[in-house]
Amino acid sequence: MAERAALNAYWVPEGACRATGPFGDMGLEVQERALGPGHVPVRIPTFSPHTLRELLAALREKRSAVLAERPVTEILGSIGMAAERLTSPGEPLYEELLDTLPELTGYSRRMIEIGLERMSVGWSAEALRSAIEDEFGSLEVLDDFQPRPSGGHQRAFGPPLTVHVFSGNIPGISVSSLVRALCVKSASFGKTAAGEPYLAVCFARALAEEHAELAGCLAVSYWPGGSEDLEAVAFSEAGAVIAYGSDETISDVGCRVPAATRFIGYANRVGVALVTQRALSRKRAPELARGAALDVATFDQQGCVSPHTIYAEAGGAVGPLDFARQLGDALEELSKEIPRGAMSPGESALIHQLRAHAEIRGATILAGERGTEWTVIVEESAEFEPSPLNRVIRVCSVDDLSDAISELEKVGTHLQTVAVAGEGEEVRSLAARLGAIGATRVVPVGGAGWPAPHWHHDGRFQFMDLVRFVDLENSQ
Amino acid sequence: MGERDPLRAGVLEFIGRGVGAPVAEEDFERLALEVFAYQFAENEPYRRYCERRGRTPDAVARWTDIPAVPTAAFKAAPLVCGDAEEVEIVFRTSGTTGGLENRGAHYVRDLKLYEASALPNFRVHVLPEGAHLPMLILGPTLEDAPDSSLTWMLELVRRELGAKASANFVDESGLRVAELEEALAASESGAKPVALLGTAVAFAHLLEALKERGRRVRLPPGSRVMETGGTKRRSREIGRDELYGMLVERLGLSEFYCVAEYGMTEMSSQFYDNVLRERACGRSPVLRYKVVPPWVRTQVVDAETLEPCPEGRVGLLKHLDLANLDSVMAIQTDDLGVAGAAGFELMGRAVGAELRGCSIAMDQWLSAQR
Repeated sequence: MAERAALNAYWVPEGACRATGPFGDMGLEVQERALGPGHVPVRIPTFSPHTLRELLAALREKRSAVLAERPVTEILGSIGMAAERLTSPGEPLYEELLDTLPELTGYSRRMIEIGLERMSVGWSAEALRSAIEDEFGSLEVLDDFQPRPSGGHQRAFGPPLTVHVFSGNIPGISVSSLVRALCVKSASFGKTAAGEPYLAVCFARALAEEHAELAGCLAVSYWPGGSEDLEAVAFSEAGAVIAYGSDETISDVGCRVPAATRFIGYANRVGVALVTQRALSRKRAPELARGAALDVATFDQQGCVSPHTIYAEAGGAVGPLDFARQLGDALEELSKEIPRGAMSPGESALIHQLRAHAEIRGATILAGERGTEWTVIVEESAEFEPSPLNRVIRVCSVDDLSDAISELEKVGTHLQTVAVAGEGEEVRSLAARLGAIGATRVVPVGGAGWPAPHWHHDGRFQFMDLVRFVDLENSQ
Repeated sequence: MGERDPLRAGVLEFIGRGVGAPVAEEDFERLALEVFAYQFAENEPYRRYCERRGRTPDAVARWTDIPAVPTAAFKAAPLVCGDAEEVEIVFRTSGTTGGLENRGAHYVRDLKLYEASALPNFRVHVLPEGAHLPMLILGPTLEDAPDSSLTWMLELVRRELGAKASANFVDESGLRVAELEEALAASESGAKPVALLGTAVAFAHLLEALKERGRRVRLPPGSRVMETGGTKRRSREIGRDELYGMLVERLGLSEFYCVAEYGMTEMSSQFYDNVLRERACGRSPVLRYKVVPPWVRTQVVDAETLEPCPEGRVGLLKHLDLANLDSVMAIQTDDLGVAGAAGFELMGRAVGAELRGCSIAMDQWLSAQR
């Protein structure tokens, strides 16, 4: 393969730095380094605490000048147009992403294509409008004081500056995060992760083409995690900090955000699936197996919405083992349609080790024949065990899904998405029980991978969590 | 097929030919296939494992086709020929890594085989000139760590090959640095060389303690170190180069006298660096690699397919150890290495927990449950 020229994996708007040249007087140097599983050469600026502070101050100023009083509908329009540039085949930015993201993230090209297509749904002006309306009742409350049913008025203000700490597992989450902040008229600084340093940069570039002034309120760059001096500056300058990552990362970042600054942490979450015996009819089982396989294959389970274990109730027309076989067949098909991403030797080794452990303890192993491309571990057990990901799924045969629910109680607030297949009232009743123990999203099997644009991310508000309401009370 | 006594005699005879014996490929293969037939007959979980792969003794004609069991399987069930209750000792893995709940267990039915393999291999690579040295062991006694295979082996070499002043320097409170320092000082002042044996982590601990106090010891010529195991300590990973640099600087050793051992709880044989043995023959080896004793075979396999890698490519190590007569001979590790003409280079564990982002990592999950 031809040597690739280094990508500019940062977005610092022109004029955002009070310097003559792009980086001139501020002494911002750009360094080349290799990121991602493909060791892609990228160029990254080296910030000092001083230069970072200057940049963040400039972003806030820009925001006051061009974003704070702009009607939200205009902002949504620009975001939607920018998103189209990112996600429409034929657009240069889209083609560039398809060429670069597989190497940067390790995901297959097909997975990136699907990811961009599905995520674009949530970035359209229309979807954003209804997601905001879903939370606030109306868009206008972001523009002006609106009457409240109980009297008086209210208006919602976003933070002047939001600092985002992205994780590298799922491309696109970074863009959604920047979009949420823009919708509440906040400037943003996005700190990317080594595993996905580029999509947010491309979003800013797309936005610059649509609406240069808005893109002037965004900056995106990378530094190695744990650069505490830079993060101290970023967190002290921010009105809100949003972080994505492991429990460890979230508690570490959370400790360093000043107490008065709003902190929103998206920590470790796991998903599971529940399939009732009534749902396991001969007619429905193949479609459920295909759906479950899609849930497993989507981003190779790296997302917090992906299932780790499928609990299948025994006693239906199709038993758990037969269902697992159908699931295996569907995973085999998908391994060709949507190839799994690149594996490190350690990831492959872990799957071989896990298969052997499960086999020797008595489980049935169904697996791809070439290597570790997919694995279904079938056993009679209600015990929850996290998957090593990369398309390894357990099918646990249980006599009664109540056994699974009591086991899942231990997972507690780590539980996020539960894909449920049932008949009639079963789904609603299971959803109530799952909600009571910590789940925040119940979806049909096959729908786990793609949350609705207006979803309650980890059970919370996407936009409302970011804003501050100002009450305007009537005179007595 | 599978009479144990003649087979055991055959394995002992083969090992007894010595570490420097010629390769004897045909003898090895014949013996390996016989041992496989025996293990297939007597080790039930292994038999089922082989049957599911269609690799029965009738179908396996080459030692390379003998199914290797991943080490994690040793955590799931006793993999032993005959009655698990009747073994002489059970060695267990430390259980701190791997993310699987149970500790791996190697049921050893016959410690004589273990000794027959461990002793000559140690002697040839750590005491090649036949030195009789006090062994300062940076590890616990067998009493304190009764199920550790490393502790058992160090006890064995101390008992069989160590001089009178040998001692252990780890107890429940950790490494007894002050006493160890005294022993090192005594060696230095009395010009009496010593052999220091222990884990890389224990050496790192000692060397950091010496560094903190600005202490340098010049151990007398002939002194040596045998270190083993990973070098990850607390959060900081100390590279082998850094460790050896410190051994040279703080203890006054030549790097030729620093020998890395690579062993696994699930095996009965170990691997040692070539360097000291070659030094004893008057050579100055340029390459440092692990020597495979004649009764062991090591292959480097592709991590994804488990098929052999071309020479020079990094992959997972797979070992076949005749001395594992009563458990499973062929073992698939998650250690990374690269094969060379004379042995292999060990590159550490293949880290599996490279799980990114918000999906919970297995290790984290399990540690939270404990």
